[in-house]
Amino acid sequence: MTIKSINGCIGCGECVKSCPCDVIRMEDGKAVITYAADCQICHLCRMYSPVDAIEMSPEKSIPVIVPWG
Amino acid sequence: MTTPVGTAAPSRRAFLALSGATAGLATLGMQAWARNTVEIDVDAITNTDHATDVLVVGGGMAGLFAAVKAHDAGAATMIVSKGRLGASGLTPFGKGFFVFDPATETGTIDDFVDTVSRSALGTNNPVYTRQLAEHSLDRAAELREWGFFDQTLANRPFMQPIEERDIPLLERVVVTHLIAEGGRIFGVAGFRLDAEETVTIRAKSVILCTGAGGFKPNGFPLGDLTHDGTVMAYRIGAKVTGKEWNDGHMTRANHPAATFDGWGDMFERVPSTNGVDVHHDLGVDLNYRAYHLGNPVAGGPGSAPDAEMAEVKGGPYVPEEFQGRVPPTGDGEGGAPGGPPPGFAPSANVGGASAGMAIHKSEGLVPFDDRCASNIVGLYAAGDALGSHMSGGIYTQIGSSLAGSAVQGAIAGEAAAEYAAQADTPVIPDARISEIVEEILAPLRREAGYGPAWVTQTLQGIMIPNFVLYIKKASMMNAALAYIEELRDHHAPMLRAANMHELRLAHETRNMILSAEMKLRASLMRTESRCSHYRLDYPEVDDVNWRAWINLFQGEDGSMQLEKQPFEALPT
Repeated sequence: MTIKSINGCIGCGECVKSCPCDVIRMEDGKAVITYAADCQICHLCRMYSPVDAIEMSPEKSIPVIVPWG
Repeated sequence: MTTPVGTAAPSRRAFLALSGATAGLATLGMQAWARNTVEIDVDAITNTDHATDVLVVGGGMAGLFAAVKAHDAGAATMIVSKGRLGASGLTPFGKGFFVFDPATETGTIDDFVDTVSRSALGTNNPVYTRQLAEHSLDRAAELREWGFFDQTLANRPFMQPIEERDIPLLERVVVTHLIAEGGRIFGVAGFRLDAEETVTIRAKSVILCTGAGGFKPNGFPLGDLTHDGTVMAYRIGAKVTGKEWNDGHMTRANHPAATFDGWGDMFERVPSTNGVDVHHDLGVDLNYRAYHLGNPVAGGPGSAPDAEMAEVKGGPYVPEEFQGRVPPTGDGEGGAPGGPPPGFAPSANVGGASAGMAIHKSEGLVPFDDRCASNIVGLYAAGDALGSHMSGGIYTQIGSSLAGSAVQGAIAGEAAAEYAAQADTPVIPDARISEIVEEILAPLRREAGYGPAWVTQTLQGIMIPNFVLYIKKASMMNAALAYIEELRDHHAPMLRAANMHELRLAHETRNMILSAEMKLRASLMRTESRCSHYRLDYPEVDDVNWRAWINLFQGEDGSMQLEKQPFEALPT
């Protein structure tokens, strides 16, 4: 599920701006996981969140293609 | 290079299962061709126009210095970035910063340049290698002033000099087009992610600090880097180089897409500086061994090969002087991106996390002078967007990637400001703006088409498997090229987008297709093995025919043309 959940969001928008892949958007003043398939699981959103609102998972939500198994 | 944390190697069964998944793309759950259910009113999209002397495209280390130095040289300067300053591309990952400090180094700058050239087998451009050494200390001092070496997140220290100078900053704007007339740059065009709006920026000079790119691979922070600058510049006639080199960063066998799990220590590390330490490394030898053994890559630079791996003969050539040199391990507090981060076990990682990326500073626009100029008048590039071959076609100096971006950004900024001071204000006809805006919005206007996510996954299935670009041979590369030409001719023109996010994906996908073609054609042309380019059918270094870089450019008929450019000479 990549970025897994956002809890305790204060609506500051830090995670939205800091996501390189445009995964999170603001809706009604709160950050919402909108395009999870594009998450590269880099944790920048989690690190920039001033209230530690973001929980991550190591699993991608779409099939993963790698050069070696 | 750096090595991610190890986990248990996957079983052979798991390996076969993944290979099967690669072959079975049609079974992925993503929509390929479908009706386009557009979520926005495309006819209501407006255009906002800006003007500046120097426009910096990209908000990483190169973009920061390009903007600061262009401004300080007297040019009205603006930054546009598809992400956030200091928080996109590879900049958040780069924490080791090379400095050549004459007070502490035992050798001279000449010694340093010669050592890099020996390791790089001549593939480095000594003009840019020297520049790195000459300017790195000054750039590190400026970064220190801004607080860069006191933090783990780069946005705040990057914002300090930008706010002090009041440099306009457009973030979350995706640039899709460079605008040129008569061989001269006039500006750029793109769109906002957060508003239904296209953006045009007229500029006397443009500096591409757009980074490198990949095929949105798994396990490395390249999800937003799709060679946008290189591809846009190629489309307006710029020459491009270095596409045959291969970066070899790895990921973990377990959860391979989890970039942070493999590289989190880099993201969370406080940046630091390091001195001269020249290597010849990054993964290509491990891919060769793995290919011969039929197993996933085990180990990495810095780990002792096990008995079975040591028996594999042949493989990429490493100059004797650099054999056995292993990257240093970190000390737990900073350190260069050359060794396994503290606590990382060097075993059971898999190669290919950065598929589609070459060695830093080796791929991008061909420099036509020693100040980062391209062959398009007024268009400059710096950092990973410039094919300066600063370090050559293999990783040589530890920590030079981040430092090189700072050094080149500053040089390009000053050069662009100097050019802009004597250039006329560009005039772009309204009809041309309308035409470009329609090109930008085309995926939103399609009633039906291919989903960009599906086309990207198809491209990944063609380009990422180890037997295409990691272990190269003509038969597989020609097969892959046939697929890529199909995507280029019949899928790229039919990409659809339902919203601004998908519009970005559509343009990125189109760029990745062209980048894949560049990588295949350059790799096919280089009929030898050297540095990070390894061919099973041409395994030897060929100094008679290949002391040359490969440049690519668009021919008059639109086809991709290739040419050799001898080492150690700038093109004319």
